[in-house]
Order: sequence, then C-alpha cells, then structure tokens
Amino acid sequence: MSLFTQSISPETLSVATLARIESQGGIDPFASPSHPPRVSAPSFRLPARAISAITLLALIALWWLAAQYKIVSPVFLPGPEAVFRKFITVARDGFVDATLFQHLLISLGRVFAALAATLLIGVPVGLLIGLSTVGRGVFDPLLEFLRPLPPLAYLPLVVIWFGIGEPSKVLVIGLAMLAPIALSTAAGVRAVNEERIRAARALGASRLRTVLHVTIPSALPQIFTGLRIALGAGWSTLVAAELVAATRGLGFMIQSAAQFLVTDVVLVGIFTIALVAFALEWAIRTLDRRLVPWSGRD
Amino acid sequence: MSLLELDHVSVRYQNAVRDAVADASLRLSSGDFLVLTGRSGCGKTTLLNVAAGFVSPSSGMARVDGQPIAAPGADRAVVFQSDALFPWASVRENVAFALRMKGVPRRERDRRADALLARVKLSGFGDKPVWELSGGMRQRVGLARALAAEPRFLLMDEPLGALDALTRERMQTLLLDIWAESGTGILMVTHGIEEALLLGTEVIVMTPNPDTGQQGRITRRIPVSFGRRYRAGEPVRAIRADPAFAAARAELADAIFEGELQ
Ligand SMILES: Nc1ncnc2c1ncn2[C@@H]1O[C@H](COP(=O)(O)OP(=O)(O)OP(=O)(O)O)[C@@H](O)[C@H]1O
Ligand SMILES: [Mg+2]
Repeated sequence: MSLFTQSISPETLSVATLARIESQGGIDPFASPSHPPRVSAPSFRLPARAISAITLLALIALWWLAAQYKIVSPVFLPGPEAVFRKFITVARDGFVDATLFQHLLISLGRVFAALAATLLIGVPVGLLIGLSTVGRGVFDPLLEFLRPLPPLAYLPLVVIWFGIGEPSKVLVIGLAMLAPIALSTAAGVRAVNEERIRAARALGASRLRTVLHVTIPSALPQIFTGLRIALGAGWSTLVAAELVAATRGLGFMIQSAAQFLVTDVVLVGIFTIALVAFALEWAIRTLDRRLVPWSGRD
Repeated sequence: MSLLELDHVSVRYQNAVRDAVADASLRLSSGDFLVLTGRSGCGKTTLLNVAAGFVSPSSGMARVDGQPIAAPGADRAVVFQSDALFPWASVRENVAFALRMKGVPRRERDRRADALLARVKLSGFGDKPVWELSGGMRQRVGLARALAAEPRFLLMDEPLGALDALTRERMQTLLLDIWAESGTGILMVTHGIEEALLLGTEVIVMTPNPDTGQQGRITRRIPVSFGRRYRAGEPVRAIRADPAFAAARAELADAIFEGELQ
C-alpha cells in the first residue's frame, strides 16, 4: 500500500480517503516516521522522538530567555515558571468563579454530548451514503458544504436560531464533528469486502441482517478513525462555541482572561486544551486497538 | 434428492461487449461432485456465481428443484478462494453464522459449531480470532462455516488454490470424506488437473473462444471414478500411481489447452 499512498499528495485527499488511509496505518502522528534506508546515511542517527524532545526543550529555553531578559514584555509573554505557578493557582483557587478542573469538566461535557449526538446521526447518515445512491445523492453535497465551513462562520446563525443556551454550544461543536464521522462511515461501508457480503447472503442472511452483521462490523475501523478526527475537530471548536454567553469552560476562561490581559491564564488555558487533546487521542487509539484488533490484519 | 440445473445459461456483464459465459448447461444432483476447470478468464467463477445466485443469467435459466434461482440462499453454501471469513468474529462464531441466521439458540449452535470444527480437525480453535490462523486452517473454517448451513449444494471456487502441496493433499481427502458422509452435491472450481480427477465424479472443461479470449463455453465433460475408488477404500497414493490416472491426466490437459497447442 505504501507504493500507492506515497504518491498521493496530502492536499488532494478528502476526509474520507484520509480516513481510509489512516485506518490502514498510513498516516500516524504518533509513530516515528519510517525512513527508507539511504546509502549515504550517517552512521549516527537520532530517533525522531529524541529530536522532538530536544526541539520542545529548546523552545521552552527560548521562551524562558525571552521572558528572563524582558525581550518581550511579561504582560504579553510571561515566563514558563510564571505560567506554571499560575497553572497551580488556577487549579487550586480557580479563575472567574471556577477551578481549572471545573472549567475542563464543563468543556469535556459539551464535547462529549456533541460527540454522542453526532454519532447517533452521523453513523446512520454514513451508512445511507455508503449503501444507497439516493442517500449519497442527498447527503454528499450537504456534507461537502458543511465540511470546509469554519465554526465562527455559522456560530452567529446558530445563536439567531437557537439562542444562547447550552444547546447552541453543543450544536456548534457537533456540526464540526458531523462530516468526519459520516464521511468516514461511508468510506468504511464502500470498502466492505464484496465476498464477505456474498458469503453472508449464501449463509442465509437477509439484506438487512447482512448490513448489521457484515457491513457495520467491517466499517468499524473507519468509523473509529472518523470518531478520532471528529473529536479533534470538536475539541478545536471549543473556544468558538464558548464565545457566546458561557459562564464556564476552558474556552470561556481563555476569553475572559484575554479581556483583562491576564496572559498567563490564557497560556494555562491553551496548554490545558493541547494536553487534553493529546490525552483524548491516546485514549481513542488504545480503545481502537482493543475494540477492532483485526484492523489492518487482513 | 435435490437437483440444481443450469439450462443454456449465458452471462453478459454490464457494459461488456461479449458474453463472459455462453450457453452453458449443467446438472448437479445430490451425491454428485462436479469439477469445473479451464483456463483463466474462461468464466468458471461467473458460472458458479450464477448457481449461487450472486449473478443472474442474461439468458437461459438457473433452477433448484425446478424453482428459478432468484437470490443467494443457505441451501447453496459457498466456499471462496479468499476464504471471506469474518475477522471481527471468533472461529466458532464464524462457523455458527448460518445457525445464528436460522435462529438456533446460542448453546445449541456452539455445540454444533464445535462438532464441525472437530470434523475439519480444528478442535480447540473455537475461541481464536480468525486472523491468528494459517491459510489452510482458515480454508477449513470456511468449509465448516458452509457445512453448518447443512446446504443441499456446496459451491466452492478454488478453495485449495492458495495452499501448499501437502496441506492441499490433506484437504482433498478431507473433502472426499465430507462429500461421502454428507451426500451433498458439490460444484467445485479448480485449476489443478490432478485435483479435478481425484475429486470429481465429472470434470467439466470450459474453453474461451480462441478469437476473443472470452465467451467461455463448456467444451468437454469427462466422467471420472477415482474419487469413488477412494471412497471404496483404495489409498490416494495407489490411485495416483495407476496408469489410468496418468492417461486421464493427459486427456484432461489436452482438453483444457485445446486450441492453444495446435
Ligand atoms: N464483475 C465483472 N464485471 C465485468 N466483467 C467481469 C466481471 N467478473 C468477471 N468478468 C469477466 O468475465 C470473464 C470471466 O471471468 P471469470 O472470473 O468468471 O473467469 P474464471 O474462469 O473464474 O477465471 P480465473 O480462473 O482466473 O478465476 C473474464 O473475461 C472477466 O474479465
Ligand atoms: Mg475465478
């Protein structure tokens, strides 16, 4: 498969093909990239992870230097220690009436509520796209329309239609998740091995039961990939969703801190969002390996 | 007794200029072991798929006991070259699939699946995921899965094609044993000349039109009895060593490559 995927430029890939490739283990941000053996390669080489660690440390050192020697004003860029101290304060005493953990919990709640709702809608829509020409004709253009829209673009409309309550926030996040889940599911359905379908039919399964017992399990690896992409997309929509009349949440915390130029809290918020995204990604990968262990093995 | 008939069947795939199979007829009764052979692309899989109900004939009729074949069904179980097992299910669940579709209760279908696994010499593998098995083991799971449906006809498309010589020989005798026990009518596609002679009660040779490379027709039907001799107790080695076997082999090879060697 590497022969094929290497010749495709990433820009030309749709989410659906991306999902398929990823499900085959093609693009893996966590794995160290494998280099083809080069004849002129130096005898001493650092593993990619070590290079990443060094880069990270160097950036923190630069940051520290910039703050220490006041190259950038501390109002704009507080140093690493200041941010770390603030992290502890916000975690213990809170910021705008809630601790960091409470903000985080609210945000996670919104994202997972959106995920649950989107799975309930997106998976059946993906099945319809993959299984029927009518379904594809109806939903494909809608999703292609929705997919590239930035959340900030539809946020005002959602507020006009649904008000400033909790449902609007969940809806904004959910809209960002819908296309990845539905399109990955559809890609999974279309990639189903035709002989397995035939085998099930010749073993007495009706068309409906073939969908339940063969098509859906076959598509699970791709559905999982969609879920992973969706969770990333939803999480990155958080700040936008919490722009409107929120009183808690990580996005809300960052915005209120920014209004008062409390830059260290902004940074605490940003790092928390990044760390949680990392943790979620890891959790889903673990779950993926547990639940679809056959993926990529046949 | 059941009878599967293909009556002057032609198949033309969508957008194709010529028929993939032209005017093919065959009769498969309970207890028959028909072997379909011929060069690559001559339409063997297509014909088997008509019998299975995966492909409908463009002209002619396919019938089981006089009823037209409209769809696939558990009375005609299929074994695929690519085994087509369900990787998300355990070996036992794969074998029990047809029973589950019939609504057989869990405990009963597990019991029957385990009995079939013992029959194909895979006792103790029931809980394994299928992707941990070797190719030969997977083929046996595929066979057990098809047998679980208690089909009237067993349709097999190059079931042993991907196996090494020794495993293949063992599978051949296993197939003969199962055929003898079950009385099922078997239609099997193979490229193996010796395999065709050893297993079949009749070998059906398909040949493509020499000008087009398509439009496969049935050009020879050779009745054989080596499988019956095995059933009567003669060892496979002795049958293979029989000069009659060598003669049949030459005749079949000629029939398959007819037109090409001239
Ligand atoms: N789904 C399809 N659509 C169009 N043409 C097809 C399709 N399947 C097979 N064909 C064509 O029909 C002809 C017969 O194919 P078939 O697979 O039945 O041959 P075969 O005898 O089984 O070959 P092999 O021994 O290689 O398996 C070939 O020319 C093939 O290209
Ligand atoms: Mg074939």
